[in-house]
Amino acid sequence: MSEFLPGTEALAGSQDDPDGIELRIGAKLEQLPIIRSLAATVAIRADFDLDSIADLKLAVDEVCSTLITRAVPGSALMCRFTLRGNEIRFLGMATSATATEPRRDSFGWRVLTTLTDEATAWVDRADAEHLVHIEIAKRKTTGG
Amino acid sequence: MTNGRESQNQRGNTADGEYEHLVPVFVELAAIAGDDPRRTELRDRLVTGHLPLAEHIATRFSHRGVPREDLVQVATVGLINAVDRFEPDRGSDFLSFAVPTIMGEVRRHFRDASWSMRVPRRLKELNLSITSASGELAQQLGRAPTPSEIAEKLGLSLEDVYEGLEAGNAYHSVSLDEALSADSDSDPLADTLGEEDAALEGVENHESLRPLIEELPERERQILTLRFFHNLTQTQIADRVGISQMHVSRLLARTLERLRQGLLDEPAAEEPQS
Repeated sequence: MSEFLPGTEALAGSQDDPDGIELRIGAKLEQLPIIRSLAATVAIRADFDLDSIADLKLAVDEVCSTLITRAVPGSALMCRFTLRGNEIRFLGMATSATATEPRRDSFGWRVLTTLTDEATAWVDRADAEHLVHIEIAKRKTTGG
Repeated sequence: MTNGRESQNQRGNTADGEYEHLVPVFVELAAIAGDDPRRTELRDRLVTGHLPLAEHIATRFSHRGVPREDLVQVATVGLINAVDRFEPDRGSDFLSFAVPTIMGEVRRHFRDASWSMRVPRRLKELNLSITSASGELAQQLGRAPTPSEIAEKLGLSLEDVYEGLEAGNAYHSVSLDEALSADSDSDPLADTLGEEDAALEGVENHESLRPLIEELPERERQILTLRFFHNLTQTQIADRVGISQMHVSRLLARTLERLRQGLLDEPAAEEPQS
């Protein structure tokens, strides 16, 4: 059960972006504070305004809660922050037994789209365990 | 004669003079029907009239690492609850009923929003001055400030501001159990669910969501609505509700967590498709 997630190769292959920050963590709700703190730290140090920092934290929380509740028990959650120009992107991935994408008409999705500038979700299907992705982007509102 | 004077003295002592004139308003309020529009007006008069009491209690708890404006707001919520729950025909006077109610609300705020033990005093104070500076900056700029703007205003290094802001993460985040233990301070008089109802149209899980939103304390529901249905920023909400942006942020995080948990507890509403 300790082999790498499918899809980690994709992350490993992202060496063209040495500034990306990756985190691999147990897909458990108790781990949320760690991911949330990292999100805040990334946004604080990118000099985002306080509203955007708080929004990103809430959005990352939402992404990860969604993924964790779908994740195969005992599996890991992969997180990745990318900073480019005025934008922070966050990608979360989890293995799930179901290949369903998060519904775009759910309240959770409304939360995500309100808090971020971009939100997308897709599933890489495999035989039994599918890899669910949710990616969000938050841009600076102030020209800094 | 003697009797009359005695009862006058007694009342003078208990009602503290300052709020004496409000006593008949409670009687009036209790006497009119629940749907009478005058209720709102009387209730407002009672709340406004007793505001100094809430401010007084908030002041007693300030200088403990929580912004005073947040404490005043929290104490006011306690006051509103006290006004709504007070029954004048029960024989006790309002103040002896209200003071513990308000203190309870303030204490709960400390419990919910306290610092975790290990945060050094310097960081708590740093975080507090950042909170107040960002409130002022938000007024000037009309938007939330950035860490570098805060650093400039406070004459601190960026690294200090980063540290102070990150210390905010060590604010005791409310445990799931705590967040779920029903705070029964939802206020039936202010139940204005029409707005949320309209906004929830078209949301897939609104059937399961509506009762969860209805159960939220009034303030949490208001903040949720302003952020996700009216698209106000946290700074705008902070300004409107009269609390700090940091407090709005914490309340939103807690509310979303509560809703998510509530939706999870629903019998699997989502069937796999395609």
